[in-house]
Amino acid sequence: MKTMSKITIGLAAVALLMVGCTEQAPKPSVGKKVSTIVSEESLGLRKTDIYTEDATISDKTEYRSAQATTSTKIKRAFQDAPPMIPHDTTGMLPIKTDDNRCITCHMPEIAGSMGATPIPVSHFTDFRPKGKIVNGKFELPTDVSKNEVAIVQEDKLQNARFNCSACHAPQSQGNLAVENTFEAVFTSKDGSNRSSWAGGKLTESLDTVGNESFITKDDIANKNSPAGSLGGAAH
Amino acid sequence: MSLSRREFLKSSAAASAAAAIGMSVPAELEAAANQAEGDWRWDKAACRFCGTGCGIMMATKNGKIVAVKGDPAAPVNRGLNCIKGYFNAKIMYGADRLTQPLLRVGADGKFDKKGKFVPVSWQRAFDEMELNIRKALKHGGPESVAVFASGQYTIMEGYTALKMMKAGFRSNAIDPNARHCMASAVVGFYQTFGVDEPSGCYDDIELTDTIVAWGSNMAEMHPILWSRVTDRKLSNPDRVKVISIQTYTHRTSDLADTEIIFSPNTDGALWNYIAREIVMRDAAEGIIDWDFVKKHMIFAAGPVNIGYGMRRSDEKSIKEGKYTAKEMEIVSKEMKTIVSKKEAPALEPYGYKAGDTMNHTPGTLAHWEISYEDYKKSVAPYTLEYTAAIVKGDPDENVEVFKEKLQQLANLYIEKGRKVVSFWTMGMNQHTRGTWVNTLAYNVHFLLNKQAKPGDGAFSLTGQPSACGTAREVGTFTHRLPADMMVENPAHRKIAENKWMVPEGTLNGVGVQHIMKIHRDIEDGLVKFAWVNVCNPYQDTASAEHWIKAAREMDNFIVTSDGYPGISAKVSDLILPSAMIYEKWGAYGNAERRTQHWRQQVLPVGDAMSDTWQWVELSKRFTVKDLWGEWAPSGPRKEALPSVIEKAKAMGYSENTTMFDILFANKTAKSYQLDQKDTIQKGYDNSEGYGDSRNVVGSDGKVFNGYGFFIQKYLFEEYAAFTRGHGHDLAPFNVYHKVRGLKWPVVDGKETAWRFNAKYDPYAAKATKESGNSHAFYGTLAKALKFGTLSGMDAKSEQKSLANKAKIFARPYMDPPEMPDAEYDIWLSTGRVLEHWHSGTMTMRVPELYRAVPEALCYMHPTDAKNKDLKQGGLCWVESRRGKVKARVETRGRNRPPRGLVFVPWFDEKVFINKVCLDATCPMSKQTDFKKCAVKVYKA
Repeated sequence: MKTMSKITIGLAAVALLMVGCTEQAPKPSVGKKVSTIVSEESLGLRKTDIYTEDATISDKTEYRSAQATTSTKIKRAFQDAPPMIPHDTTGMLPIKTDDNRCITCHMPEIAGSMGATPIPVSHFTDFRPKGKIVNGKFELPTDVSKNEVAIVQEDKLQNARFNCSACHAPQSQGNLAVENTFEAVFTSKDGSNRSSWAGGKLTESLDTVGNESFITKDDIANKNSPAGSLGGAAH
Repeated sequence: MSLSRREFLKSSAAASAAAAIGMSVPAELEAAANQAEGDWRWDKAACRFCGTGCGIMMATKNGKIVAVKGDPAAPVNRGLNCIKGYFNAKIMYGADRLTQPLLRVGADGKFDKKGKFVPVSWQRAFDEMELNIRKALKHGGPESVAVFASGQYTIMEGYTALKMMKAGFRSNAIDPNARHCMASAVVGFYQTFGVDEPSGCYDDIELTDTIVAWGSNMAEMHPILWSRVTDRKLSNPDRVKVISIQTYTHRTSDLADTEIIFSPNTDGALWNYIAREIVMRDAAEGIIDWDFVKKHMIFAAGPVNIGYGMRRSDEKSIKEGKYTAKEMEIVSKEMKTIVSKKEAPALEPYGYKAGDTMNHTPGTLAHWEISYEDYKKSVAPYTLEYTAAIVKGDPDENVEVFKEKLQQLANLYIEKGRKVVSFWTMGMNQHTRGTWVNTLAYNVHFLLNKQAKPGDGAFSLTGQPSACGTAREVGTFTHRLPADMMVENPAHRKIAENKWMVPEGTLNGVGVQHIMKIHRDIEDGLVKFAWVNVCNPYQDTASAEHWIKAAREMDNFIVTSDGYPGISAKVSDLILPSAMIYEKWGAYGNAERRTQHWRQQVLPVGDAMSDTWQWVELSKRFTVKDLWGEWAPSGPRKEALPSVIEKAKAMGYSENTTMFDILFANKTAKSYQLDQKDTIQKGYDNSEGYGDSRNVVGSDGKVFNGYGFFIQKYLFEEYAAFTRGHGHDLAPFNVYHKVRGLKWPVVDGKETAWRFNAKYDPYAAKATKESGNSHAFYGTLAKALKFGTLSGMDAKSEQKSLANKAKIFARPYMDPPEMPDAEYDIWLSTGRVLEHWHSGTMTMRVPELYRAVPEALCYMHPTDAKNKDLKQGGLCWVESRRGKVKARVETRGRNRPPRGLVFVPWFDEKVFINKVCLDATCPMSKQTDFKKCAVKVYKA
């Protein structure tokens, strides 16, 4: 396994990397030799001193002004990441129970003709098991000790996903406060602009400890845990 | 828009069926995708952010995180995350991660408080910490060594810090940022139930008919819970009612049937109004479930003249004049106030009238039993007239319309057969009468027998991911020990001492240095060493200029451990690089009592190491002789702390045995083996256990090769021992690695959905075996009371046991200490936004989150803006008696205040709003009220 090699302590000489905080704006500079003196002001997002406020102004919000039908789509941040909103949202927010402007263009059957990103299958999928009262007691159909799922694909947009702005947000232009060194790896050719999370992928890799991804009697007995009880001292 | 829009929604959704199904990834493409994912490793983990506690699936490739998705198996969120949840993928990759210790030095290379930072080795960092801790101990004993702890610690980190502080340093000066977040909820729980944490669970949402959000913007702060509320509401829009009770309009109101805008601090009056409706209409309508109330409830009251948690006149920094005349206008109210016309009717049953001087004594948890008749008197003043007059928060709303809403609200609670859940978080907790308002919530639910039942209950949500799991359950508070035990209780200290294999008498019984007190103790010169763990106290504390000044200008040593350099790092003397959440093994506990574990996904960056490692390494520097001798009285402790060195020797320790050997690397600990055949550990890094390929040079100047045992499992299991067998039971470590969390108490491998309810909670079932009662409120704290009236306790009365009962409290409305006046004419409320977490150190470094909300705006009413000559998008000053900041004016945004109130979130280092806020707290819980103070706003 790949991680195992990391666990094994190598014989390589100790290499202290001088990384990070310089007098200038920080850059992703792993391995780069930099000045060793770091001023308080150079650290963090606020480059002005923190003792007065006269010279400190927040980073101005500059959302894109392109209209919904003419905007250029923003690439997804990683495989199946929620896409960000590339167009002006004036007049579209807030979303209310009787007024959701997002779906007027993004419903799959309309999206194509509008040039909008279609709402994907995951949003038409019900993931939540429905409980019921059995012998006067509430029970869920899924067994938590086995990580059971209840997934039903439906023909209707799921109410749980009605609040579009919980995941999708407009994006201000201009410089970032700090760069981010995350590197996306897409597993499907068009992964940067469409969701692949559907079908068998929904349940893929959910058994995170392999064939033993369920609670056993031995697990509950917890026999090899000498620290795990107070040994009779109640409180 | 009218209903037709929704109809359109439905029909278009139906029409889209085919299209939606057609969207599935074609089989070939899917196969290709699977292949490409061949070298990805998916594992479960918990979200880093709010108290909802969602499960995520996280993918790593070549030692880096590459993707996050919602976990379909996670009961909390079932395949969905919010925007922050998804972007957990990027939070560890901000380019300015701290990668090595940084120390302030002078030209000679020695530590210099006024110096600039230079990178130093871990060894040098620990040398400086050791030196300065020794100096602090010499100066004022254990009380001079303090820790700003966290509700974002992993459970293991919090337990390590707690154990070293309380058993090692014998200091109780450890208190979490969670104090700012839910201390009022905790005291509310203790007072009402005798034990901490909620009775209900999130399944209440799918089961209820009514969701009432009290001063809580759940849509942004608990977005996944709000998605469940939305699902419930839209699935049965006629039956299900959503009421949004807020000081300003925001996204939570966007889904609501009714919005009630109240004037800051008057939510207590609103609760009492509902209670009054219940009580006064009971005779005619038979509203109260008397069978339930008689079996399970008593009525109680406490003193009302308890101040506002500010500094008192005899405190050092007040006497030394460190507070300006402007500040003292408010701070002086800690000692006495004049009863206002607004609060007078509410205080009348307690013996006060308008114009009376109320002399305040320091906040107390004392209370006593009263009669139902006295309770009835306490709610009598909250007529519809009085309540509407003081509660209505929008000056432009018609009072008659407002009254109708109040009546509707009361009727929804009262309606027979209608299930009701009340949710709250910071609005009711960050409140100068926060404990009171929390207890008032339970009153209404108890009288109606709508508590601790599926779909029914007053439900306190937490803000932080492990405010429950770590701060509250582990007990990283000044007054607490694990699992609801208290340092002031000698029996509890003894249990902890036995378990920790430390001599009897080691633990310090005086625990009053809560987080505001630690700041104030630094300003007063008592605390000389403070260590910031997983929080940002120099950005997140009100009256911020005082604490920054104390840190930078006084003789002390401040250390900050963090992933990124925030404000706290900037004001520190030493900065330590911490491993972030997925760079270590960990566990969090969420707001429905669900404990969730994760494995180390990737190696930390640079030389960063976990907070657990930092604490354990520090423990190597101190011996029995150093810490366990006698300590003279200091600060709040009026008696000497005895030497336990001889007892330690009798236990087989020597004077030179280190705390490392006693507390962390003892024989029991070493029995937890690292084992790559173990299905839980197989293939996963453990930087503390094995060291790792970075070959980090550790605290002794040598490459750190690991402790050689499974330290995280040892720490968790030892902590869990305290919880097992008395209603707090945590499952075994391995169990948690196999499932998506379990709600404690976990008995025989089964979780508990509704606590105190005999049908669901095995502890309640046991307690009700003979009585056959439906519930048992089996908490044990303050469960024997004397009797009294609203004006005081009868000292001669007999103390009566209240086993298995809960309490309904009489609590009046009272004014907060600072309210708008002619000069500071507008309320300021602070809080969060969806896209940013707390002080923004992580989320401001995620491009998508930063770009979504790059700055903290001053949200205000367009008329206020116009009257103050302010323009949309223009800069304004927001100024209070304590400080001022600049922000841009927003009159059309997601937050829409009524005239007379502005809202400024606190995530933005450049809009340092806590310089403006007032450090008044609930005097019982010591939780700061960040939701209200008075400011003026003018053009910048």
